[in-house]
Amino acid sequence: MDLARENVTLRAMTPGPRKFIDSGFVILIVVTLVAGAAVAWRDGWGHVGEVAWHTLGFLGILLPKVLLGLFVAAAIPLLLPRETIASWIGRDSGLKGLAVASLAGVLIPGGPSMSFALAAGFLAAGADLGAAVAYVTSWSLLSLNRILIWELTFLPYDFVALRILLSLPVPIIAGALARALMRRAAA
Amino acid sequence: MNILIGTLFLALVAAWVGRRVRAAGLGAEAKARYLRTAAFTLPRMLVALLGAGFLAELVPEGHIEELFGASSGWRGLFLATVLGPVTPGGAFVSFALGATALKAGAAVGPVMAYVTGWSLFSMTKILAYEMPLMGRRPTWMRVAVTWPVPLLLGAVVMAAGWGP
Repeated sequence: MDLARENVTLRAMTPGPRKFIDSGFVILIVVTLVAGAAVAWRDGWGHVGEVAWHTLGFLGILLPKVLLGLFVAAAIPLLLPRETIASWIGRDSGLKGLAVASLAGVLIPGGPSMSFALAAGFLAAGADLGAAVAYVTSWSLLSLNRILIWELTFLPYDFVALRILLSLPVPIIAGALARALMRRAAA
Repeated sequence: MNILIGTLFLALVAAWVGRRVRAAGLGAEAKARYLRTAAFTLPRMLVALLGAGFLAELVPEGHIEELFGASSGWRGLFLATVLGPVTPGGAFVSFALGATALKAGAAVGPVMAYVTGWSLFSMTKILAYEMPLMGRRPTWMRVAVTWPVPLLLGAVVMAAGWGP
């Protein structure tokens, strides 16, 4: 039983589907091509070239940060005490479980393929739905990796700070609400 | 400046993680995972940044203030909340569009609602990852307990009169 549990969690910890071309990438390419064509139609291909050139320069500035962030995102799952985390966020883990799940959402880096797989793994390993909701909500709103790599790159820091402050209580409240809904459904 | 702060912070974290991974004898596996992650992410990032650049060009800057400016009130908040989830692409697209809107005269409240709406309910994330990986029930449960959040955050910002 324990072995099976560990297997489920382990599988969930490895990055999810990693095909080079997947539906997400195709959507992204189509959106980019359509947007580029719209810019060309309105302002001419010269302007498309300008925007593309500007973007490449921006990418050059970003690259060190992105490469560092990717390393952290790829390596941290190797250091996580998986079973310990799963045991912290079980059905009877109370507020502490929701807090741990929320903190995990902030700290465990990675994109959606990794985070949702991890949440599914937590569920399979005995975490309750409330903890899973807290984790996904926290990752969505407060993922440190995304804030550092992306949000602060584009948005002013006072905006980011305000957003973080306002979002801080949301994951725990969402997890508690989910638990209350489940209790009501069970009653 | 923001980029520099983030880079330095991540460099510290990466150095710490690298030491821990090597100490645990997992250096080779960490490297392999890093290369896989980079090969997956960098092409997407290039395309997404280009797309974000083009979409930002297409933002009708003349209408931003009218639609999402300080006087747009609830209408601006609702519209921004709805636009968040339907924004395609990754984090960079929504953040870049939000930043463009701020520069073009949008108030902080609607941009807060937009970014939060994307973060919580991006349709690409839900359809491509959450539904298939977690299943219908957990997904709907999460939506059921968090759907008012983007509007609420935007409304708090608006009511407090924060931002330009």
